[in-house]
Amino acid sequence: MGEIVFGGAMSHVLDPDYYQAACGDLGRQKVVEAMDAIGKMGDRFVERKPDALIVVADDHMNAFSFNCVPAICVRIGKKVQRMMQDNAEAFDKVLDHMAPEYALHEELGNSILEQGVKNGFDLALSWEAPIDHAFLSPVNTLLGRRTIPPLVPIFVNAFIAPQPTARRCFQFGQHIAGVVAKSPWAVGIIATGGLSHFPELLLGRVGETDTVFDRKLIHLMERGEHEPLLDLTADELHKTGSHEFLNWMVLLGAITPARAEVRYFGELPRINLAAVEWRL
Amino acid sequence: MSRYAINSLLYHLKKDPDLRARFIKHPSAAIADADLSDEERAAFIAGDMRKINELGGYLHLVMSIPKIGTHGGH
Repeated sequence: MGEIVFGGAMSHVLDPDYYQAACGDLGRQKVVEAMDAIGKMGDRFVERKPDALIVVADDHMNAFSFNCVPAICVRIGKKVQRMMQDNAEAFDKVLDHMAPEYALHEELGNSILEQGVKNGFDLALSWEAPIDHAFLSPVNTLLGRRTIPPLVPIFVNAFIAPQPTARRCFQFGQHIAGVVAKSPWAVGIIATGGLSHFPELLLGRVGETDTVFDRKLIHLMERGEHEPLLDLTADELHKTGSHEFLNWMVLLGAITPARAEVRYFGELPRINLAAVEWRL
Repeated sequence: MSRYAINSLLYHLKKDPDLRARFIKHPSAAIADADLSDEERAAFIAGDMRKINELGGYLHLVMSIPKIGTHGGH
């Protein structure tokens, strides 16, 4: 009988130099604090000896471009490569020091995909999509120099309208929980991104956040009250800069009704950094 | 206006170093074949990333094209 043994969610640009450039000394200080909290989450992750780590994150027009934008895509196969970018800048530069290739948990990925299609989820699949900072910055921060278990990367279209609904993402998370329960594996799952930043995806609004909205989400997660979150609309997520909360909705479906414990919340002008763990 | 055309061009500027080099050297010639409106083309030639974003250019592409984007420090 399989089990989800770890659930966590965190911001996904975890790089002191990036936040130094974007927000000065305060940015560096806060992201270092967030990374420290995430590293401690990694201690608990390792203690539970997971066989696999599911990572729910979004692409930033690096893997899929406009050739195809899947609502939800399971990255299958035996290995996955990190996104390569010549002369990388901004959030892409975070990847430069990371390992170029990571093992995948092929059986778990295939199970989520195949049983998902049988259960009515019209999932996309990819053997080739590389993964960018949204996946690898949290994984490497969580585990540092420790062994990274085989991954199951799951892409959620957080940015290109029309995105999947919050409710559908939650339902997909419930599907993941069902697959894991029927499996022989101990599985960790993390969701990445957020909290609020880049409202309306407008360059002119970079530097704005919505702390009231973020605290509302956190309050509901701390209480294990997930039902109100199912009705979050694309418009709300877009206007508040909470697009990536769709990744968190998948995680919530997988671990509901567990309650969240906030490991870090730090306000910056550019983004509200967060690290959250669930009591399982 | 074509949201697809703008973003396809942004994507290729990010991923194709040769196109990027030609664009930096001579923007109007580099994008001569792109299917853009006059307003979109003018924004690209001016390197006006805010305008490109307002016309539908995807924020994360606008911010991360090497030597052209807003360098994340905006």
